[in-house]
Amino acid sequence: MTTIQEPVRRYFEDVEVGEELPSLVKEPVKHLQLVRYAGASGDFNPLHTDPKVGEEIGTGGIIAHGMLIMGFVGQLISDYVGPQAVRKFGVRFKGMTHLDDVITCTGTVTGKHEEDGQGVIAGKVQAKDQTGDVKVVGTFTAVLPHRDA
Amino acid sequence: MFDKEKIGHSFPPFSLSIERGKIHELALAIGDMNPIYHDQQAAQAAGYDDIPLPPTAPTILTFWGNTQLWEQLASVGINVKRILHGEEEYEYLAPIAPGDLLTGVTTIVDGKSRRGKDGSSMDIVTTETRYSNQQQQPVLSARTMFVVREQGE
Repeated sequence: MTTIQEPVRRYFEDVEVGEELPSLVKEPVKHLQLVRYAGASGDFNPLHTDPKVGEEIGTGGIIAHGMLIMGFVGQLISDYVGPQAVRKFGVRFKGMTHLDDVITCTGTVTGKHEEDGQGVIAGKVQAKDQTGDVKVVGTFTAVLPHRDA
Repeated sequence: MFDKEKIGHSFPPFSLSIERGKIHELALAIGDMNPIYHDQQAAQAAGYDDIPLPPTAPTILTFWGNTQLWEQLASVGINVKRILHGEEEYEYLAPIAPGDLLTGVTTIVDGKSRRGKDGSSMDIVTTETRYSNQQQQPVLSARTMFVVREQGE
């Protein structure tokens, strides 16, 4: 495994199993954001940007890129451990996100173990809208430094 | 119906260099205003060598790196008009920095079809893309599960 390049945010010893990641409440999803995300990611599927297409295929208007919602969850994890501490991050897409949905991302530390002398934490994460409808569930692992290292 | 013969099929390699501007643009679109993603000096002040990649930066590689993705999936019989994203998973194997030139190879690693009583069908196809840097060091592995639903006649 490669050495950590992440500046220290928190030590392995300071994280407890069951601990919650500080939750992240995003601004309402807007059409302009989806256009912006299309350009940033390169995913120009019109069902994310053209309301007519959304109506034709029965999604009730345009829907957000699933990867944008994964990006919100990525921000939650990045805020907690820093981007370069993350070793694995995976999600399942559970529901469609519509315009003006307010997405809240939450997460919990589910495990801690040692691997090749490094401290590894595991966590579960999810994203829900303002009605509690789950959009994304996922897991991650991250490497954290030891306090005495 | 997904053709199981396509499991193991790899598409031609593609390459993309990592640019600070694209990281800035992606973080803006996500609404992640952490200055480490937007300003090299802020990143260095926070202890990074350069601007780091946010966890979902691989999406830039997926689409901007491989502009032929949809055509390639269509070429193996996947109805890309009905494609839905089921799962996405990244394994970060080594640090990636601006200026790195990554090369990715996408392989179809799994696929199956299910048929409903009403004649509808659903294909579930998983791809894996392995990325190496300019030193041929593996840096990233990305798995994507697609779901394709077809209505019955």
